[in-house]
Amino acid sequence: MSSIKEQFNQISPSEFFYSNRDLAGFSNPTRSLYTAVREFVENALDACDQHGILPEVHLIIKAVDPDKPDPKSYILTVKDNGPGVDAEHIPLAFGTVLYGSKFGLKQARGMFGLGATMAILYGQITTNKPVIVKSSTDGKIQNEFEILLDIQKNKPVILKHTTKEISKNGLSVSICLEGDYSKAGTKIRDYVYETSLITPYATITFDDPKEQKFHHSRFVRDIPPPPTIIRPHPHGIDVERIRRMIVESQFEIPTIDDSMIEKVRKDLGLSKKSLGFAATMSKAKTKWKNLSRQVRVVVALMSFLKMDFEMLRKIKIEDIDVPNKKLYYWDFGDSQSKTVDMDSDSPYYKQLTNTVQGEPLTTFLTKRFQRVGPTTAIKFAEFAGFKPEKRMGTMTNQELVKLSDSLQKFEEFLSPDPSCLAPLGEEPLEKGIKKFFNPDFTAVVQRPASAYSGFPFIIEMGIAYGGDIKPGGPHVYRYANRIPLLYDEGSDVVLKVVNDTDWGRYKVKGEPPFIIVSHICSTRIPYKTAGKENVADRPEIERELRLALQFLSRKLAAYMSKKGQAEMAKKRANLYAKYVPLIAQFCTELAGKKKEPNYKKMLEEEAIVENE
Amino acid sequence: MKTNEKSQQQNKKSDKKQKDILEILKTYGAKIYDDLDNGQFPKFSIPSRSVSNIVYDKKLRQYVLGNSAAIRNSRNSSQLRSFTQLIWLAFFANRLTQEKKSSTLRDVYYSSQAFAIEFEDQAESDNIIVDLEAILSKPREDFHVFPEERSSIFGDLNVEYTIPGYEGKTMNLSNHPDGYSIGPSLTSAELLDTSAEIVIAIEKGGLFTRFVEEQVDKKFKSIIINTGGQAPRSTRTLLKRLHDEMKLPVIVLTDGDVYGEHIAMVIKSGSANAAHLRELTVPDAKWVGVWATDIEKFKLPTIPMTESDIKRCYDLQKDPRYQEGIWKKELDVFLRIKRKAELEAFSKYGLTNITDKYLPQKLDLAKSL
Repeated sequence: MSSIKEQFNQISPSEFFYSNRDLAGFSNPTRSLYTAVREFVENALDACDQHGILPEVHLIIKAVDPDKPDPKSYILTVKDNGPGVDAEHIPLAFGTVLYGSKFGLKQARGMFGLGATMAILYGQITTNKPVIVKSSTDGKIQNEFEILLDIQKNKPVILKHTTKEISKNGLSVSICLEGDYSKAGTKIRDYVYETSLITPYATITFDDPKEQKFHHSRFVRDIPPPPTIIRPHPHGIDVERIRRMIVESQFEIPTIDDSMIEKVRKDLGLSKKSLGFAATMSKAKTKWKNLSRQVRVVVALMSFLKMDFEMLRKIKIEDIDVPNKKLYYWDFGDSQSKTVDMDSDSPYYKQLTNTVQGEPLTTFLTKRFQRVGPTTAIKFAEFAGFKPEKRMGTMTNQELVKLSDSLQKFEEFLSPDPSCLAPLGEEPLEKGIKKFFNPDFTAVVQRPASAYSGFPFIIEMGIAYGGDIKPGGPHVYRYANRIPLLYDEGSDVVLKVVNDTDWGRYKVKGEPPFIIVSHICSTRIPYKTAGKENVADRPEIERELRLALQFLSRKLAAYMSKKGQAEMAKKRANLYAKYVPLIAQFCTELAGKKKEPNYKKMLEEEAIVENE
Repeated sequence: MKTNEKSQQQNKKSDKKQKDILEILKTYGAKIYDDLDNGQFPKFSIPSRSVSNIVYDKKLRQYVLGNSAAIRNSRNSSQLRSFTQLIWLAFFANRLTQEKKSSTLRDVYYSSQAFAIEFEDQAESDNIIVDLEAILSKPREDFHVFPEERSSIFGDLNVEYTIPGYEGKTMNLSNHPDGYSIGPSLTSAELLDTSAEIVIAIEKGGLFTRFVEEQVDKKFKSIIINTGGQAPRSTRTLLKRLHDEMKLPVIVLTDGDVYGEHIAMVIKSGSANAAHLRELTVPDAKWVGVWATDIEKFKLPTIPMTESDIKRCYDLQKDPRYQEGIWKKELDVFLRIKRKAELEAFSKYGLTNITDKYLPQKLDLAKSL
C-alpha cells in the first residue's frame, strides 16, 4: 500500500504558460522571435484600429552583440501611434498573464492580449531582462516602466518608473529575448510585407538587425469601420455559457444589512418615522410603483416574515424555497434557524419568484442573444418543448442540456450579426493587390456574412494574374482577421480549397503567374493549433471559400479566354506572316508570273478582323 | 525510217506527258496566285485517302478513291503549314519536271530545307507527295520523284532516253546480260521497238539470271523483268507501257505462296495504297504460277506455311478481287494444303527444268487464260 499522498497545488497562469510555452508559439529561438514580432505588431494595429487611428508601426530588431552567432539575444521594440495605456494599468497589463482588454465578442487580431505577455515572459526567461514600456495617452506625459514578472505569483515587479514630457501619444514596448534572426528573418520580412498588404491604411517600418530598412507606406487613407461588440448568437453557445448567462440574469436576494434597511426606509419615505409592520406594508403598497426591484424584494420578504424594520435587523435570510413555499432565516436573538410558510396567492410571492427564478425563457432569449425577436422566441420555446414563460432559474441540468441542444438545432434564428466583423473591403483589397503585384488582371470579392457554430464570418478574396507575379502559382496569401498566416500551410482549409480546384477548367495552365489572397474574418477563427497558423476545415467556411474562389476563377477564366483569343489571333497573324509570303513566292513561279501577287493587304485585313 | 517515225511519235508522247503535268501544275499555281491577288485565302480540295474512301471499281478492276474529299484551306491556321508544304512541293515538282531532274522521296525531304519549308520527318514529306499525286491523279514518277528500289529488265527492246544529257540516245536492252536497272532514265525513256511478243515478270533475281542464261528472251521472244519481290511503281509503270504502247501481253511468275499470288495481283490491279492513281495497273496481266495446284501437280518440294502466311490467306479471302477465277481457286488450295513452294523448287528436277519444261507449259496455258 502506498502511503504517498498526492499533492494538489494551484499553479498561477504564469507558471502554466511558462511550462507550456510551446503551445503559444515559443518553441524555439527562430519561432519565438517571429511570434514575438507578431504579437507586438498585432497589438499595436489592434489598438489603433479600435480607436480609429491610422496606424504607424515601427518595428526594430537589434542584436545585443552583433558578432555573436545565432541564436543570440535581440532587443525587439515595437512603437505605435495608438492610444497608449494608462500608467495605472501598465504594470498589470504587461506584468501579469491573463490580463487584457480584449475580452468581448468582436473581431480582433488577438483574443486577450495574451500573446504579448507570453512574449514578455519568454524574453524574461531567456535573457532575464525586464520589459520596457513607454506609454503616453495624452501626447504630453510619457510614463516609462521597467517591469519584471514574478512567475510564481503572477504579479508585476516594477523596477523603475519615470515620467517625462513628450509630444506624441502612443505605446512603445521593448523586450530582450533569445532569437535566431538568420533563420527567422525571411518569415519576419514576409510577415511585415504581407501585413502591409492586408493593412493598406497602416504605415509599417521595419529596421532589421542587419541595418536594412523595410518601409511600407499606407496607400489607403480610410480605416475600415471598427467592429462593434455584440451579444452571442444562439448557435454559438454551449451549456456552460448558458449557465453563466443565467447567473448574470438572476437578481440576487439583497443582503439585508443596515445600509439596505436605511435605503428601504428612505424610499418608503420613512427615514424619520418608525412605523409598525402593518403600517409599513400599507405605505409600501401606495409607493409600490416607484420602488426599485431591490426594495420590492425586501418589502416582499417583510410581508411573509411579518416583521418591521427593527425585527428585520435581528435576522438573516438563509434561503427562499419557492417550490415548497418556505422561507428560511436565522434568528440572531434565539441563535436558531426558523421557517415561515409563504402564501402563494400573495402578490408578494410572485415578486420573490421572479427574483429567484430569473427571467422567463422568451425574455432570456430576446434580451441576451442577438437577433432574436419575441415571435422567434415563442416559436423556439415550442420547438424545444418549453413553456415560453418557463423561468430560467428553474431549469434542471437536463433541461439546460436540452435547451442548449435545441438552440443549436433550431433553424429559424437569423444568421449571426456580422456588425462585429471588420473585413477590409473590396476596394482596399484590390488596391493592395494592384500595388503589390502590378498584375495584368485583378478580381476581388467579399462574400456575404455567414456563420459556423454561431460565430459569424466573412470571406474576402482576391485573385491576380500576370504582371510582376512570379510564375509557379497559384501562390496563396492567407489571412485571418488581418493576420498573415505563414506557417503550417499544408493543412489549411484555404490551401485545401485551392488545391481541389481544377485550374485547367479555368484555362489556367502550366506554371502560371498567379496569386490568391484569402482573408477570413470572424469573431473566432477556428485555428487548428494554438500557434494560430492554419484554419480548420469547417464545412461552412470551406463552402464560402469555395464559392468565393469559384466566383473569382470564373472571372479569371473569362480574362484568360480573352487573353487566349488575343494570343491565338497573334499566333495566327504570325503564321500568316510566315507562310503566306512563301505561298506567294511558290505560286508565282508555278503560275509563270514575274511579279508576286499582292497579298500584303490581305494580311493587314486579317489582323484587323482578329482584333475585333 | 520506220523506226525514226515511231521515235518522233514517241518523243511527242513523252513531251506531251511533260507538258500535261506542267500544264496542270500551272493551272493550280495560277488559281492560287489569283486568289492571293484578290485578297482571298487560297484553298483546294484533296481526294480523301482514308480507308472509308477506298473502294473497288469492278469496271476498272482496281481500287479507286470514292467521292469524299478534304478541303485544305490556307486560312485555317492548322492547315496553313501543310498547305504551304504542298504548294512548295508543286513548285519543286514543276522545277524537277521542267529541268528533267530526277529525285527520290528522301531527296525531296532534304530539298525542302533549302526553301525554309519544315517537315517533321520524311514520313510527313512522303505524305505530302502522295497528296500531290492524289490532287494531280498522276504518279510521282510523272513529276520526277522516283523510287529507290531497283528492279531490272532484259530483252530485245530499243529505247531512246529523254533525260538531259542523253536525249536522243538509244539503247538495246539485250546488250548487257545482267539486265538494265529500271530507274528514272528508263522509266522516262521512249519505247521504240521490240521483237519480243511477251513480257515475263519474275519475282526473283536468281531466276531472272537463269532466264537470261537460258536465253528465254530468244527462245520465247520475250522481255524478262525482275520485279524484286513486290514490283516498284516505276516497274509497274514500265509494265503498263510495254503492254499499252508495245501491245505486249504480260505474264507473272512468282513463288508458290500467298505473297507471290498477291505480287501478281498488284501488277494486275494495283494496291489500295495507290487507289488515287490510275496508270499503274496492267489489268490484262496473267499470273501463270507457281500455283498451289502446281505444287501438287509437279510434286514440288514444299515448306509448311507460317501462321502469318495463313492469316494473309484469310485476309485476302475478304478482298473483292479474290472472289473468282484462279485467284479464288488457288487461294483456297493454299489454305487447304497449308504448304508453299519457291520457284527454285523446280531445281529438284534439274537446273533448267523450269525453263525447259515448266515455262513452255505455262506460256501455252497463258494463251487460254
